[in-house]
Amino acid sequence: MPAVETHQDAYVALIASLPSRETLFVAKQAPLSRLKLDQRLRVLSDEDSATLKMIEDALDWRSLPMKVTERDVINRSRRILQHVDNETLQQIVRDRLEIRTCIAALRRRALGEGAPSKDTPWGIGRWVDHIARNWTEPTFRLDGVFPWLREANRLMREGDTVALERLVLAEADKRLRRLAGEHLFDFEAVVIYVLQWSMVDRWSRYNAEVAVRRFDDLTEAGLGRFASLSFEGEG
Amino acid sequence: MNELVLALGWTGIYSPMAIGAIGSSIGCAIAGQAGIGAMLETEGGYGRYVGLSALPSSMVIYGIVIMFTLNREVTPENAGALFGIGFFAGFALLYAAIWQGRACASAINAFKEKPEIFGLSLAPAAIIEGFAVFAFVFALVVSAGVPGAQ
Repeated sequence: MPAVETHQDAYVALIASLPSRETLFVAKQAPLSRLKLDQRLRVLSDEDSATLKMIEDALDWRSLPMKVTERDVINRSRRILQHVDNETLQQIVRDRLEIRTCIAALRRRALGEGAPSKDTPWGIGRWVDHIARNWTEPTFRLDGVFPWLREANRLMREGDTVALERLVLAEADKRLRRLAGEHLFDFEAVVIYVLQWSMVDRWSRYNAEVAVRRFDDLTEAGLGRFASLSFEGEG
Repeated sequence: MNELVLALGWTGIYSPMAIGAIGSSIGCAIAGQAGIGAMLETEGGYGRYVGLSALPSSMVIYGIVIMFTLNREVTPENAGALFGIGFFAGFALLYAAIWQGRACASAINAFKEKPEIFGLSLAPAAIIEGFAVFAFVFALVVSAGVPGAQ
């Protein structure tokens, strides 16, 4: 008699209790607050909660202290990759870290740095040595693997960091969506949901247009009746 | 040897009901969990979730009908046929119930956000029901040729 039920079914209620994923760059805010998301995630086992937190920590570098070194980040990421034994979860973490490795290489090159030596810890993933070997190539000869690198290289050279961030998030979101199609009611689906939620939340928080509008409102409020004054040299 | 053959015959008679009940339990539990999850997120339409969660229960009903159809005096001549029909019909109902439960869970997850797709979202579960009906109907047809029919 084959196994008729798997542990996956335990996640059905959790996934069904989460609102549908919002479209990145379109959503004005995340579909539910972090507080509410955490409440729903309480049904996860201790082990799953720990794994989810570990994956979130591995990908969220905003929480890292300023004095942390690249070596620390790389060692921590390697430890997490070793600890996560699920193939899909490993792929999720590795994909994001490899994207960041490519961006790190573009940044270093834009700053005029040469190819990093083998002893220098600067990236993680399968392409670290390959990138160093093809440092002078515009896309490190990785067009086939990362077709978005050409556009990223152009944006980096032009200094359009907002568009570059958007490109990177879109690529990460595309990869997660691809995996989401294969995982409907399992722990992987929960992790994918939380990571997509983080991206929507992150983007909606630093929406440039909203920031500019808010800045204008604040400036007008601060200037009060002086807001309409024209400055010297203004037409 | 005859005792073993007779035991297989009785197993075949009871299998569609028992295995079908196992399948329906699992299927309803999967769809039911999705229904409960969806109730947390939505403000109404709870009846639909409960109704859809109960869809895999039809498998045990098919199993009961097959069991009564196969029920007859078990002899060494008909025991093998009873086992083959009953066990494999039960097995088909088991899998149909589990996967129908998962299809219902997906349907609940989809229509909680878009209530207008309620009918369409049921299509996969209905198709699976169709396959179960094949197993059911042809079990009845084949059982008519088994010796000892009352």
